[in-house]
Formats: sequence, C-alpha cells, structure tokens
Amino acid sequence: METKNNWKAWLYLAPMLLLMSVFTFYPLFNAFIISFYKGYRPLNGTIEGYTLLENYLVILNRPQFWVAMKNTFVITFVSVPISIIVSLLIAVALKSIPKFSKIFQTIFFLPYVTNSIAVGMTFAVIFSRDYGFVNVVLGWFGIDAIDWIGGTSNWWSQMAALLVFVIWESLAFKILVFTSGMQNIDKQYYDAAKIDSASKWTVFRRITVPLLSPIILYISITSMIGALKSYNSVIGLFGAKMGSPADSMMTVVAFVYRYREKFASKGYYSYAAAAAIILFLITLVFSLIQSAVSKKRIHY
Amino acid sequence: MEIRMVNLTKIFTSKNRKEVHAVDHVDLTIPAGKLIGLLGPSGCGKSTTLYLIAGLLKQNEGQIYFGDDEVSEMPPEKRGIGLVFQNYALYPHFTVRENILFPLQNLRVPKEEAKQRTYEMAKLVGLEEMLDRKPKELSGGQQQRVAIARALVKKPRVLLLDEPLSNLDARLRLQTREEIKRIQRETGITTVFVTHDQEEAMSISDEIVVMKDGVIQQKGHPQDVYDHPDNLFVAKFLGSPQINVFDASIENKKVVIDGMPVGDTELPDQKLIVGIRPEGFAVDKTKKSPLKFEIDLVETIGRDTTLVIEVTAEESSLLDKKTFKAIVEAENRIQPKDVVHFIVKPEKMHLFDLQGKRL
Amino acid sequence: MSDTFNTDTKAYRAKKIIRSVLTYAFLFLIAVIVLIPFYWMILTSLKSQTLIEEIPPLLFIKPSQWDIGNYRSLFALVESGMREGEPLFPFFTYLRNTVVVSIITTIGTTITTILAAFAFSRLNFKGRDLVFAILLSTMMIPGEIFILTNFLTIVKLNLYSENQTYVQVLTALTVPFMTSVFYTFYLRQAFKQIPNELYYAAKVDGTTDFGYLLRVMIPVASPTIFTIIILNSMGAWSAYVWPEMVTMQDSFRLVSNGLRGAFTDTTGRTDFGQQMAATTLVTLPLLILFFTFRKQIMRGVSRSGIKG
Repeated sequence: METKNNWKAWLYLAPMLLLMSVFTFYPLFNAFIISFYKGYRPLNGTIEGYTLLENYLVILNRPQFWVAMKNTFVITFVSVPISIIVSLLIAVALKSIPKFSKIFQTIFFLPYVTNSIAVGMTFAVIFSRDYGFVNVVLGWFGIDAIDWIGGTSNWWSQMAALLVFVIWESLAFKILVFTSGMQNIDKQYYDAAKIDSASKWTVFRRITVPLLSPIILYISITSMIGALKSYNSVIGLFGAKMGSPADSMMTVVAFVYRYREKFASKGYYSYAAAAAIILFLITLVFSLIQSAVSKKRIHY
Repeated sequence: MEIRMVNLTKIFTSKNRKEVHAVDHVDLTIPAGKLIGLLGPSGCGKSTTLYLIAGLLKQNEGQIYFGDDEVSEMPPEKRGIGLVFQNYALYPHFTVRENILFPLQNLRVPKEEAKQRTYEMAKLVGLEEMLDRKPKELSGGQQQRVAIARALVKKPRVLLLDEPLSNLDARLRLQTREEIKRIQRETGITTVFVTHDQEEAMSISDEIVVMKDGVIQQKGHPQDVYDHPDNLFVAKFLGSPQINVFDASIENKKVVIDGMPVGDTELPDQKLIVGIRPEGFAVDKTKKSPLKFEIDLVETIGRDTTLVIEVTAEESSLLDKKTFKAIVEAENRIQPKDVVHFIVKPEKMHLFDLQGKRL
Repeated sequence: MSDTFNTDTKAYRAKKIIRSVLTYAFLFLIAVIVLIPFYWMILTSLKSQTLIEEIPPLLFIKPSQWDIGNYRSLFALVESGMREGEPLFPFFTYLRNTVVVSIITTIGTTITTILAAFAFSRLNFKGRDLVFAILLSTMMIPGEIFILTNFLTIVKLNLYSENQTYVQVLTALTVPFMTSVFYTFYLRQAFKQIPNELYYAAKVDGTTDFGYLLRVMIPVASPTIFTIIILNSMGAWSAYVWPEMVTMQDSFRLVSNGLRGAFTDTTGRTDFGQQMAATTLVTLPLLILFFTFRKQIMRGVSRSGIKG
C-alpha cells in the first residue's frame, strides 16, 4: 500500500472538508462561543461582553423552556420504547409468515417516504373533532367524540395525538432495519433451536433478541437522539401555533428556533445558542448512559 | 433404537421448475447402537437424508420409524434426536455451559438435575474446564465437542452428525474421529454421520452406506464393501489411491487388457470394464508373466512403493486417467525405466459390465 | 425449507393454525393503520364541500361522488391580499423550487461523496482514521447547533435580505447541503468491497488513481451511488426548517414549508378539503419515486441501519 498519497488524498477530501469547515465545524465552535456572549447583535457582529452562565440561566428560568422540556421528554421516552417494541414484534411476525411478506414490508415502509408536514396535516384532519376518523371509530364503541387537538382540547389529548403520529412515522425505518438484521442471523441457529425443543417464545427471547441486540441498541440511541430533536412533527400536526393554547406543545428545538427568529434583537441569539447546547448536552448524557447500561447485555 | 426408512423420497424444485430427487425411494435400516457412515460425493443426498431423519425437512413420500414409533409426521423437537451441525451452530452469546443447558431448560428438566447432566456431558467430551467460556474463545475441535455435548445431553434416541470433521485441520481430524468413536461406544447410542471423505467413513463406521444421486449404491461393513463393490461407482469411490479402471475383454476364459491376460474367469466372452486395485499388482520376480509395463515414476514411502505407469491414449485402454498406479512391496527396489512383470491378485480384480454393474 | 408438519396431536395442529391466523390478523391490522392516513388524505381531498360537512364524516364515497373541486381551487388565483394574482397553492412553483434544489444538492453531494469515499477507502494517508472518526462523530450532533451559525453565515454573505434574488436563495438552500458524512460512510463501505487486486492490475496497466476511480470504482459501485442519488433527492422533499428560515418570499418556498405556509396565511376556517388536496399533491411525487425505485430505497436504508 502506497503511503505517499498524502497530498493527493487531501485533494480528494478538499471539497467535503471545505464545505464542512464552513457549515459544520465552524458552527459547532461558534455555537459555544455565542452562548458566552453578552448583548450580541448578530447583524453588526457586536457584543457587549462575555459571560459564562448568564445566558444558560436565563433559559433555565424561563417557564416556557420547561414546558418544552416536558413535551420533548414525554415524546422521547414514550414513543421510542413503544415504537421499538412494536416494530420488533412486527419484524418477527413478518419473518414467520411464508407469503405476502414483501407486500407487507412495502406497505410498512410507506411512512418513511412521506414528509412530516404533509402527513402531520393529515393527522390533524384525522384527529379533528367533527371530521376526523378517530372519533368515528370511537363512536363504533359508543365513546363520545373527543376534541383531540382543537380549541377546547387539553394537553393530554394533544400529546396522545402527537404520540400516535410520531410512533406511526417512526415504525417504518425500525421495521426495515430489524427485518434486515434478522435476515442476517444464521438460519442454523433456528434449526438448532428446533432440535433443542425451544418454543417460539423462547427462541424470540433467548436467541433472536440477544443476537439482534447490537442493532436494537443502535436503533435505541439514534431514535432517542432523533426524538429529542422533534420539531417537524409538531409543526406538521399543530401548525406554527404549536398547540392549544399556543406554544403548549412546543419542543426544545422549537424553543431554540423561536429565539433564533429574533436574530435582529440584542442578545437573543445567545439564548438560542445556550438552549441548543443544553439540548446537545442532554442528548450526550443520555446516549452515554444508554451505552454504558447496555454494555453488559449486548452480545457482539 | 433402530432407524428404519421406507420408500423415503425428497424432491426439490429449482427456480426453473426442474425437479431434483435428492433422496429417491430409499429403503434403509440402521441397526440400533451402531455407528453408521453415510458416504457419497456432494449432491448425493446424504445430508438431505440426515435432515429427513432429523425432521428439519419433510419427505415427499415414505415413512421413518424410530424403533416401533413412526416419526414421519413429527416435528424435530418431538423426535428425540441430537444433531451436530456442520458449522456446530453453537449459540454465540451463550457460554459453553448455557449452550449445553439450553435443551434441558426447554424440556423443563429440574434445575439441579440439569446442572448435573450438563457437567457430566462436559466431562464426557473433555471440556469440563471450559464451561464458562464463550464459543468464540474455543478452537474448532473444542467447539465441535460442545456441539456433541449439547446434542447428547438430552439423552436422545438417535445422534446425527453432519460432516463432523470437514471443518477441522488434518491433525485434529484424526484425533476427533477417534473421539466420536469412543463416545459412541460409551453411550451406545445409534449414530449416523454424513461425510464425503471415504477414509473417514471407513475408519470408524460399523457400517457404511454409499449414496449417489439420491440412491443407495451399497451398504455393509466397510471392509466388505471395499472388497466386494457392487458397482463401478462404489469401487472408484472407496480406496485411495483410486482403483485403476480399464477397458477389457474376456477371451477364452481369460480377462484380457491390451492383449495381456490379467486373470481367469468362468464368464462368457464379452467386452467389459475391469477394475484393479493398486495393491492388486504383485511383482513377478520370475519375470515370466506376460503382463509387463515400463515404469515411469517411483514413489517410495518406506512402507511400500508406488509405481506410476504412464500411458498414452491410443495405446491403452486405461479409462479416465493418463496413469495408473501399482503399490508393491518396497524390497523390490525398482527404478524408473525398469520393465516390471506383474501378476494380478484375483481378489483385487473386479469385473463390471459396460454399465458399471458387477459381473 | 419451510415445511409444515401435521403432527400426532390435534391440539398442536390447532395451535399452529391459530398462531398463523393471529399473526396475519396482526400484520393486517398494522397495515390498515399505516394506510389510513393516506386513504383519509385522498378521500378528504375528493370530497366536495357538502360531503365534507357531513358529521360524522363519510368513510367512503363512490367514484361518482368524487369531486376535484378542491384541486381546482388550489390553482385558482388569490383575489386580494399579499398574494393577489397568484394561485392559492402555487404547487408548481414549490415543485419547481424543490426539484431545482434537489438536483443541485444531489449533484454536489454525489461529487463530494465520491471523492471523499475514494480517499477514505482506497488511499492510505496520514491521519486518515482520525479524520474519519471525527467526521463520524459529527453525525451525533443535533443539527440545530449548526443551523444557528449557518443562518448567520447566510446573512453575512448577503444571501438573505429584503431584496433576496432567486439565485441568492438557491445558493442559501443548496450550498450547506452539498456534503454528507452519512453517504460518504455508506459509499466507503461499497468501495471497500472492491478487491485490491483490481486496483493493482489497473496500476500495472498504467491507470492513474483518478482514472481508476472513474472507470472502475464508480461503475462497480453504481448501485450504491444510484441509491445515494435517490435517497438524497428525496431529502429535499422533507426539508422544512432551513427553507423556512432562508426564504424571503412565498415564491421561493419548497413544498414542505410551502404547504404549511400556504394554509396559515389564509384566514378563517381551515378548509380541510383544500388542505388535503394540497397534501396529496405534495405526497404524490414521493410515492411515485418510491414505487419506481422501491428496491434501491429499501436496500439503501436498511444497509445504513446494519452497518451503523
């Protein structure tokens, strides 16, 4: 292998690295720096000073921030486990049927190829009190129509609708990844398990899931990171109003963007940066926790 | 526990609708308590037969009996078999102990008894020190012994092994096949193993079954099958170096190859195929025998000497090859270019009709 | 080798059948749940005003009742207000913008990705693994952090101002997205599968590295590259946040932010029929793309999950 490729290699990497320097590396550092500015006016580039924690404290003292945190956490820690379990079961079910699995797989993948806003708006119609599908179905069971996301709705029904939407969207990718993962498990293990008199449930619990565990962990972490960043789904379902009353369904990312909108005013960009970094740190912490906790139970 | 297969047939249909009879109306009885080798080239149906016995494949026609029980319709977990897969199929995330324990847990054997039996099995295969290791920490031979222990721990009626030695290096192969023989002797369990290596099958089996194209060619004690092949295929498949095969004719009660008589026979005059084992050539020290050849190559291994005689296509009726081999005693001190006179030992000469059936 | 067994006990057989039926029922139920939004979308878009007002809403309308009035109204011109004289939902404008952005970013990304993946997979240079590890780790960082500064950069480059031109907004929409660590990683995997021997043989034949890339690696890895192109093109369809931030005028919007934007601008009651018609229009191209390239898309997405 030649080693004198040095300058040539960098030439090939140049386009990518150049673009990334401007739009990835620089922004990463800049975000931290901005969060330490006092009285920053982005349009002029002027600042009034530096501060370590002031911007962060301002954010942490805003009640709206905690509303956003609550919403984000609920979305993340309810939808991710549910969608992982459901998609695992679906993947297992797909594996055990001899026919039609291709058709089902295609149908299950549809949510991935849509865009969040469009489908969100559709879900808004589906959850509409008078014109929505959900209340029609509830009516079949004799349950009264609920105002899910309208003017008289409460946080619980709005969150329920949002969770249904988020889970619906997120199944597609997981099902596909789990299905592929299962196909990569050597069929011989399943033959051996038959010989070893293992029941279907034992096979699932003690062979399929452990052998799939690296993938499950990967999905778990990436889904959690994605859910902490929820934004498009909220806009899709609730519109820019983000809930009823306004902003009651805001997420942390939405919170960051709200401050960004005020970029012309003094100091607001620093708040946005601080909030974004807080989210980043939370994401990092949870990712590390997840990795550490699963080290023992993951088989490689 | 005797295994009996009656009219067993398995058909596979390939993508272009072609039907392949992997196992073709096979009748076979495997005596209880014996070690049987299923032998044949790849694609002959031996692994398919094994999987049919195991229940991992379902037969298209025919029945299978374990003793008096018909198991043809039973799924694998109900048949009471142990199977050692070619690649061992050890659960990679279980330790050795957990691998062996697994079948007992599924059969709901009480914990204490299961622990005890697991330990005994590990001792039987010599791995009691490795119980807490994971399969990837073990060598190929050790992994295989774990697979055997796992298969045996549930005290099956029948033990099946799919190409048990083909993944091992040469040295381990010899060692392991003795192990298999020993374990079979100690447990007395009816054992069937599948292999394409005839030397392996011959060395440890109580009986061998030679298969080709889904059909049993011959079965019996290894030495019997070697000494009395029913057809040309079996004769060529067993024996290393391979038997020498010639076009020949019978003239006046003599078997003649290339104008040279090689032996006597009672059969009527006809064209036929003759197989002569390499060890069937003896040096005629009197130099009177009409059967003579110039030697091209000599390979000495000390115990005996292999003489290699090259022939050209037109001048000889040797089939399939350009050389044939004779194995003689080393004292003869033969050199290349020597002309040697041979006598053919009649018991090492096999006569077949032109379709390959024994005459 | 998927044979089923009739066994000796009837109970076992019954259990098997029940299990099979339940599995199919479960999968069927999920399939219905997955399809309902699509169905409702199209159904609502085809309901005339009167049919929409039915309470409870109709679950099914006969083809004779289908009304494309909602679609027509999307293209009707607005009578007054900020967007006077333009269609209510300038679908084709948004579509055009999205396609243009999609093409530009895809071309850019494909080029940078091929070059970078080549360097990482085929060339041996100091710092290679370190740089690669750093790039991979950037995938874990939430995009919001980048967006904040990138927006400022765009402003500083005078691409976002009162008189924003079409070229300016296109630049803002495309340039930040002309690379992808993810696709580079993915293509690198594919490149790595090409045996070294091919490279050595080409070198012996006097080919340059770049020639090898062009004439051997790209053709051999073309299924992967094709998948990248398709997946990347689909990305522009879902983009919402960034386009919303950097587009000054409605006519610059892409389909996603155009969709939401168009209906928050109108006053009064939300017209579900119109909304759903617009939604259907936006969803349709993606679906067509999906059904055409189903295999590549699904294969590409699943690979990313496994090798992750």
